[in-house]
Parts: sequence; structure tokens; C-alpha cells
Amino acid sequence: MIVLDNFYIIVAKIMQINIKYNILIKKDTIDNFIQKIPPAPQALKETLLHLNAGDLVKAANAAAQDKALSSYLKVLVNKPIYGFRNEVSDVSQIFGILGVSASQQVVYNYMMTLLSPSKWILFKLNRVLFYNLQADLSVNWQKILNHLHIDDKDILSSISLLPASIIVSEALFCEKKADVDLLRSVNQIDLNTVLQRLCGLDLFDICEQIAQKWEMPQAISDILQSASGVKPAKDETTNNLGKWMHLLLFYTLSQEKYVEAELNDFIDFQVEYVSDIYEEFSKVMEIS
Amino acid sequence: MRAVVKNGIGIFTPQGFLDGSSGNSFLSIDDIDGTIAQNADMILVSLKKVIFFNRNGLDSFVKMFQKVRSANHCTVGFCDYDTKKYAAIVKFYQDDLNFSLFKTQEIATLFSANYKNQNKNILLYNEDKSQRAAMAIELHDSGHNPIVAQSYSEFKEKSDAENAYDIIITDTYLGQMGQKVATRVTGNAIIYTVSSFLDAEIGNTFNIAYHNNSLNVGFRLFIFDAYKVISMNVHALNFFSKLSSAGAEYNATICFVGMSFDKTPKEFKETLEDSGIMFFSQMDDILQDKDMLEELGASSASNVKDKRAINKTTVTELPNFIDATVGTIEMMTNSKAIKESANINTIDISPKEGKIASSIGFYGDMDGMVILVFPTEIAKKACELLIGEETNDTELVLDTLAELVNIVGGKVKTLLADEHISVDITLPRTYPNIDSLLEIVQDKKGVQVDLSFNNDKFIFFLTR
Repeated sequence: MIVLDNFYIIVAKIMQINIKYNILIKKDTIDNFIQKIPPAPQALKETLLHLNAGDLVKAANAAAQDKALSSYLKVLVNKPIYGFRNEVSDVSQIFGILGVSASQQVVYNYMMTLLSPSKWILFKLNRVLFYNLQADLSVNWQKILNHLHIDDKDILSSISLLPASIIVSEALFCEKKADVDLLRSVNQIDLNTVLQRLCGLDLFDICEQIAQKWEMPQAISDILQSASGVKPAKDETTNNLGKWMHLLLFYTLSQEKYVEAELNDFIDFQVEYVSDIYEEFSKVMEIS
Repeated sequence: MRAVVKNGIGIFTPQGFLDGSSGNSFLSIDDIDGTIAQNADMILVSLKKVIFFNRNGLDSFVKMFQKVRSANHCTVGFCDYDTKKYAAIVKFYQDDLNFSLFKTQEIATLFSANYKNQNKNILLYNEDKSQRAAMAIELHDSGHNPIVAQSYSEFKEKSDAENAYDIIITDTYLGQMGQKVATRVTGNAIIYTVSSFLDAEIGNTFNIAYHNNSLNVGFRLFIFDAYKVISMNVHALNFFSKLSSAGAEYNATICFVGMSFDKTPKEFKETLEDSGIMFFSQMDDILQDKDMLEELGASSASNVKDKRAINKTTVTELPNFIDATVGTIEMMTNSKAIKESANINTIDISPKEGKIASSIGFYGDMDGMVILVFPTEIAKKACELLIGEETNDTELVLDTLAELVNIVGGKVKTLLADEHISVDITLPRTYPNIDSLLEIVQDKKGVQVDLSFNNDKFIFFLTR
């Protein structure tokens, strides 16, 4: 029992408690993150410039100067999902096989890896699994665009920006994993909504800022915003591509390895948004 | 995957495609254990964000359901689907459908042990006659008014009537229901529903921690609804005798209603009466008799003889409680919370008008209760992250406030665990006005800390 003598000691104790500042996410954190995005390396810029001009040889030469890029290209395109029978090791050979559009896509994929953390905390990801995710998305996006008879290198590359939403989530929330887990144990709220409600901008807005910083074509950002599932584009073609990309994302994140990486519910799947393309999607992906 | 636990129902929401390769990865034993630890007695998998599933995809969940049911006596199944998905599941498992299917989470809540809204007019239809009957019985037992349509044409005709029913139940199937002792609160009495054969298993299915916490927070009348009890053996007799003796310390009363002793030795009744348990034939004999309620200690939960006081252990850990509260408010509002004053006394709330409150109890190595009191408008601001938009729906604000205090409880649990103090938390409770809160705490001494965020003031109160 508390006796009166202790009263003042206790009150004093309460008032001395140092309260730790526990803001979940601040606008400053987002600004810092965007500020720290490195500019695209010179070799990358040159590679993209040559790819844009359709010169695969010069592009390959430029890419070969960046050892990290060369190494990434080899690792990525030799993943089983790309389906090459023999190992492809030379950059000019890789670009030659892929062609201009797919080469641009893999270079953008590499740019995304420059943003990815060395150690993942919020998601149970690692470098290999992240590369697999990029490869899975890229190859299936190509399949979708073939089905839709779309041959546009910027649209093909737009899929590269999608994993940036995962990288941004990791960067902004990794230090608050316990709080995020607690919050999401009482309310079904996704990270995109948390960010939107607390800071007034969402994961896909931040991805767009990354794209702008790296001078990616606007079409890429437009498709990505639409692929969030909560911001349909006014342009019908862009909106339609957004639906395909949104559905592809959740088709991919339903795979065992990504569910285990806790990626399945980091943003909300908008079933209604994609319902009109589902039948067609299931045929393309041969879902039965 | 984490579940969201609300009103005793833990809901997992996988997204996308459920096929053979992915099903196993969505739900692990650890996920289930974590959900059960949050007092969930119904575990459901929501299909609202699933666009495709096949039998293999569902099988991994169904296997998990069986394990959970046998280990934890929970109700298990799927919810949130349309008629097409319902038909597919029924077809997949036609001969082996031993889990439940609830078309919506709202319907599931009606069948949960922790339901809180009663007296609903419910129209229900199922092709299977025995299902219709089973649902009607469950709903009636839960205090609702079920109207059963005997044919689809009758159902169509009835369901076309506008605003005639609070809820319409179709595409719902009751599999093996949970065997936990269902609990509900009526006024200041707690009613437990027991059925069938009462044996040693009652020790597993009765939530003793919940019962003890109810005693701690001031409940004094506990009624066992025993209409559906067939018989009781000596193990159950011992259990109830001990429960009654333990409650005597708190001046609590335990009653049995509707218990027939046709297949139970008559001397069992005498033994139970000797231990202080009272028997009534009808629930209304107690609940409609105000004098009786007063006599039994349920006129007000504040009728507490043993006024437990805040103790040294609780005060020592006070920084953790304040940290948890402040941390939660800051997380939810993105603004700094400030401590304004502190006092040790009974709770002081003035003015009382326009305020709502929420509480959460904790028990284990130490026990007590955290109460947060907010002006309604400030509560809305504090819960803005979870509510998301402007609302005047008091029920929604109270529900969200319960989520907030649940987070506080979760943080308290984590912070205490860092100091090797193990506690569990109760379900959160909300109070739509201050009078209903004072019924519980007005005579309890505790620590009151006035806090604010963005100059909006609210009260933190810690008591036992």
C-alpha cells in the first residue's frame, strides 16, 4: 500500500520520467531519404544514352566499364526464369540477346539495386531474393506486354521501378518494425496507408521522386502510380497497364518465397481494381 | 503472417493467389500461437483479398485449422467471400467440412464467444435444415432474434423487405464450433455458457485468467448458463467448488442457471451449494430482479469490498506504462506527447461530459489496469491514423480507441518483458461515457497523469 509519506517521492518520480520521442515516421525522414539517393553513375548514364539511341555495341562498352553493373547483368540474366540454355557472361552478348528494350529494363533494375539496403530488417529479404523478385517481375511483365502487343522500351522498363516501393518501405520503417507490427496486429492497415495518413504522401509518390531524380521517362512513373491500385490514371492505356502491373505484383508476392519474406501484405491488394482483367491475366500466366 | 485480433476473433488476410505452393507459407504455428496469446477464440482466414484459390491452396489452411482446434478449442474457418467462392469451398470439402464458413466478419462476430452486440433481428437461410437449426440455436443462445427461412423462395421474399432485419445470413456454415467456454458481459454480470458433458476438460476450456481479471476489475456476479449441460462428473464438480471458494475472497457469487440434475448425482448439487454456488431455473430470475442483482453484488461493479490499491511494484514500473502510452499516442498522431501533471488518488475527471474512455488489464507477474480518458473529439484525433477519415460514428471511435489501448497494452507487455516481467493483457474495454467508467474505478486509488499532444489533453490512469 502506498502511504502518504511516499506520495511526493512517487509524484516526483513520475514527473522525472524521460519520455522518448516515438514518432513513427517524419516528413524529414522521407526528405532525407530522397536527398540521399545517389545520382546515377556516369557509366550507367552513358549506357542508357546509347540504349536510347539504339546502339547496343556502345551501350555494352559503356556498361562493361562499370564492374558492378556487368556483374549484376550476368547474375540476373542467368537466372532460370530468363531461360537461357547456356551461361551468358559477356555484356555485349547479354545486350545482343536481350535487345534494346529488355537491356534498358535490366539496366534500370540495376539502378534499383543501388538503393537496396545491405541488410534487410523489415522484410526477410536478401540480395539473392531481391534479384529473383526483379527477374520474376521483369520476365512476366515482358510476357504481359507481348500479350497486349505493346512494344515500348519505357513501358517495358516501368516494371523496374516497382520494387522501389519495397526498398522505400524498408528504408522508412525498418527502425520501427516493432511498432509497425503492433499497429498492424490491431488494425488491418498497410504501409502505404500509414505513410499517406501520417505524411500526406505515399510509397508510390516517393518512387516517382526517385524516378525523377534518375531522369526516368515520365511514362514509367505514371504506370507505377496507377499500379499502386489506389490512384487510377486518367489515361486509359496507362490505367490498364497499372492494373496488369498491380495484379502481376500480387501474383508474384503470393509465391511462397515472398510470403515468407513478409512481402505479401506490405500494401493492399485492390481486388476490385483488377477484376476486369483477371480472366485474361490467368490465361497469360496459365493459372488453372 | 500476422493476424488482426478484434473482439476475440483473429483474422489472417492473405492476398493474391492461394495455390499449393504458397498456402503453407501464409500460416505457421507461431502465427497461430501469437494470435491465441491475444485472447482470440476464433481463428479465421479472410478471403476478401484472394482473387484465386484451389483445393491445394486451401488444404494447408485446413490442416492448420485441425491442429488449432484440437490444441486450443477455437472455432476455425474462412470468412469474407462471395457466393461463388462459398460454393467452391463447399464443393472441395463436401464430405469433410468440419471448419466454419462465415460470409462476412460481421456474421462471424455473431457466433463468437466475445460478441458484444445483442438483440439483433437476423434473417438466416441455409439449404441444409440441420445447419439452419444449428445457427438459429447459436444465435438465440447469444441473445439474438433469428428468423429462419425454410426455403429459398421464402428467404428471397423476406430478404426483399427493406430494413426488416439487422443482418441477413446466407452462404454461412457452422463447422465444429469452438469448445471454449463462451463469455459475455451483461450489465455487471459475467455470463459463461457451458454445455454437454462437464468433465476434467473444463479446466482447459475455461479461461481462468479472464475470470481472475474480471474479479480484479470489480465483477462480482458470475452466471453459468447451463441449460445445455447434460451431466457433470466429479472432476468438474471439484473445479466449480474451487472456483467458488477462490471467488469468496472477493465476495463474488457464482450461479448456475437451467442446470438439470437428471443425469448428475443429486448430491453434487448439495456439494456445490455448500461451496457457495446458487442455482436458478431461469436466467430472468436473476437478470430481471433488481433486488436480487443488488444482493448478489451485480448492481454495480464498484461494489468492491477489497479495494486493491496501487503498490510499489506497479509504481516502480510506472515509467514503462507512461512510455507505452506516450509512445503509442506519438506513433498514432506523429506529434510529441507531453506530461503535464501527476497525482495519486482516485480518478478525477471533470467535466465528465463529452468524454469517452478505454481500459486494458494486465496480469501475470504483476497486475493492474491502464485507463485512458479522452474528450470524444480528441479521441478522434488520437485515432486518426486508424480511422483515416472524418467520422461521427461513436461506435467506430470507441472501437478504434480499443485498438489504441490494445497497442498500449502490447507496448507495456514488451517493455516489461525487457525487464523480465511477464504479463498478459486482457481484451480492451471501452466506455461510452464517464459514468460507466466510474462504476468500475471510482473508489480505486491509482496514479493519474494528465498528458497532452498538440495541446489536446487526455488522462492516463493506472490502477489495480
